[in-house]
Amino acid sequence: MASSALRAPLSLRVLTKGFIIFWLILAAFPFIWTLWGSFKVELDFFSIADWTNALTGANTERTHGSPFTGAGYEGAWVQEEFWRSVINTFIVCFFVVCTSLTIGTLGGYALSRSGYRYTFWLLITALIFRAMPPITLVSGYLLPFFEWNVWGILPTTIIVLVAINQPFTLWMLHSFFQNIPKELDESAKVDGCTQFQAFRLVIVPVMWPGVITTGLFSFLLAYNDFAVTSMLLSESNRTMVPEIAAFLGTTQTEGNVMFAVAAVVSATAPLFVLVMFFQRQIVSGLTAGAVKG
Amino acid sequence: MAEIQLRNISKRWGNFVGVDSFDLTIADEEFLVLLGPSGCGKTTTMRMIAGLEDPTEGEIIVGGTVVNNLEPKDRDVAMVFQSYGLYPNMNVYENIRFPLKVRKVDPATHDEKVMKAAAMVELEPFLHRKPAELSGGQRQRVALARAIVRQPQVFLMDEPLSNLDAKLRVSTRAQIKNLSHELKVTTVYVTHDQIEAMTLADRVVVMNHGVVQQLGTPTEIYDRPANTFVASFIGNPAMNLVEGDLKGGTFTAPHTTIHGLDAPDGPVTLGFRAEDATVVAEGGQITAPIYTLELLGEATMVSLKIGGALVSAKADKSFRAEIDDTVSIEVPADHCHLFDTKTGARIGD
Repeated sequence: MASSALRAPLSLRVLTKGFIIFWLILAAFPFIWTLWGSFKVELDFFSIADWTNALTGANTERTHGSPFTGAGYEGAWVQEEFWRSVINTFIVCFFVVCTSLTIGTLGGYALSRSGYRYTFWLLITALIFRAMPPITLVSGYLLPFFEWNVWGILPTTIIVLVAINQPFTLWMLHSFFQNIPKELDESAKVDGCTQFQAFRLVIVPVMWPGVITTGLFSFLLAYNDFAVTSMLLSESNRTMVPEIAAFLGTTQTEGNVMFAVAAVVSATAPLFVLVMFFQRQIVSGLTAGAVKG
Repeated sequence: MAEIQLRNISKRWGNFVGVDSFDLTIADEEFLVLLGPSGCGKTTTMRMIAGLEDPTEGEIIVGGTVVNNLEPKDRDVAMVFQSYGLYPNMNVYENIRFPLKVRKVDPATHDEKVMKAAAMVELEPFLHRKPAELSGGQRQRVALARAIVRQPQVFLMDEPLSNLDAKLRVSTRAQIKNLSHELKVTTVYVTHDQIEAMTLADRVVVMNHGVVQQLGTPTEIYDRPANTFVASFIGNPAMNLVEGDLKGGTFTAPHTTIHGLDAPDGPVTLGFRAEDATVVAEGGQITAPIYTLELLGEATMVSLKIGGALVSAKADKSFRAEIDDTVSIEVPADHCHLFDTKTGARIGD
C-alpha cells in the first residue's frame, strides 16, 4: 500500500490521467480516422456536404448496401496490383537492412576498438553526411544513373538508401559497442580467439539487442523513404510509399483516392506487428544496460 | 610451466613513458607480484606479457620462445581481469568451457575439465547461472576457473580482488595462494595493495612512474626498502620518514636526536617503522606533543608532528594519553633506515 505521503491529491491524479487519455486519443486519431475511413467510399471520407458522413457512411450504404466496404482494398490490391509494391518494398528493405547492418556492425566495432584519433573525425564526417537532406544527393545521382542506364531499378535504390543510412547505423552501433567493456574482447583473445572470433562468438551475441534495434531503424528508413524511391524508381518498380503518392495523384476517376487510403492502412499494419514483435529487444537495445558482465 | 623473461621492455605513447626499460626474469612456478600506485606501469607490463599491448622496445620470452609477434591466443597464458570479463550471454559452465571450445580441445574431455576447475573454486552449485545472477566473489571465481581450466603456462592476474569487499578479499586471496601452490604455474599478479603483495608473493616488484624501484622477496622489501618511495609504500602504516641532518653519527631534526648511526655526514632522511618504536614517558630520542591517538584494538597508534612530517609509533593497547600531552619515542638505532634526502636512495645497509 502506498503511504499517504507518496499519494498525490485526487484532483492531480484525475488531471494527469485525463491528460494521458487526451494525449493518447490525439496521437492515435489520424491512424484511427484513416483505418475507419478506408472502409468507406470517397464521397463519405472526403465528404464536402457533411463530415459526419465519414463516420456514418451514408453514401457507402447507398452504393454497397452496408456502411463498410472493402472496395478501396480491392481496387488497390487487385486492380492496381499494390502487392507488386509490397514485394518491391520488402526486397528493398531486406537488402538495405542486411547491407547496412553488415557494414555497420563491422565498422562500428572497428571504430569503437580503434585507438586512433581519426576515428572521431570519421564519425563526425559520417554525421555531416547524415545531416544532409537525401534529396540533395539524389539530384547529383540522377544524371550519371541515366547515363549508366541504372535508373529505375531496385539495386540502384538499395545502394543509395544504404549510403544514406550508413552513417546512422555506424553511429548507433558504434555507441552500442562502446558500452561493451573492452575486457570482454581481451579475455576472449587470451582465451584463444582471433580478433574476428572474439567479435563473432563473444561480442555479437552480447550486442544482439543493439543490432536488432539498429536493424529496425534502418528498416524503417528504407520502408518509409519517399525522396529517393520516388525519384529513382520506374513505375513498375515502385515501392509502397511512392505508389501511395501515385494513387493520390490520380483523381480523375472517382474512388481512386480511396485506393491510397486503403494502401496506407496496408502499409502501416505490418509496422505495428513488427514493433510489437521486437519490442523487448528494442527496449533493451535502447536502454543498453544489459551488457554489463 | 614456463620461465618468463622481460628484456629491456619499454612502452611509450608519444612522449608519455608507460614502462621504462624493464628487465626481469620470472622463474618457473614463481608467484611474482607487480606492486605500485595506479599509473605506475604495472598493468601495462602485464598486458604486454599477455599480448594485449605491444612493447615499444624489448623482448618478451615465455618458456624459451620470443612471443613479441604472437597473438595473445598463441602465448598460452590465461588472464583474470579486474572487472572479470565474463561472457554475459553464457552461463557459468559455458564461460569456463569457452577456452576449451575455441582452442578445439577434444570435446570428450570438456565436461571433466570444467567440473574439475569448478570444483577447485567451489562453483558447482552455480553452473547453470548467468554471470548477472552471481555475486562479485562468485564472478571472480568463475574468472579464476576459466583461467585454470586449460592449464596454461602462465597465469596473469590484474587486480583480481579490488572489486571485492574486504572480507571476501581475504578469503579469495587465500584461495588464489592455494591454487597457485597446487597448480604450480608461473603467476604474475598485479596489485596496488601492499598487503596482497606481502601475503601472496614469492618476489615483489615495486614500480613507480614506469620504473622498477625494488625487486625482492616480501621480507627484503619490508625490512630493507631500497628508497623512500618503497619505504613509504610498503607497510601499514607506512614507514615514518623524517628529514634532518647527520653529523658524526648523530641525526638531528626538530624534536629529534638519534645517536649511533653509521653514515657519512650530510642531509639525510631517517626512516623507522611504527612497530619498531616504543612509547616511553621520557628519555626517548623523539620528544613532542601528541598530534593524534588512534585505537587499533591490538595496539594504540600514537602520532607526533615533527616539522612537516607525521611520525607514528605503536604503543601498548592499554596506552592512553590526551592530545597535546608530551610523550617520548624510543627508536633503536639499529632499526633506523637512512636515505639520501635528494635522491631518496638508501644509504648503507
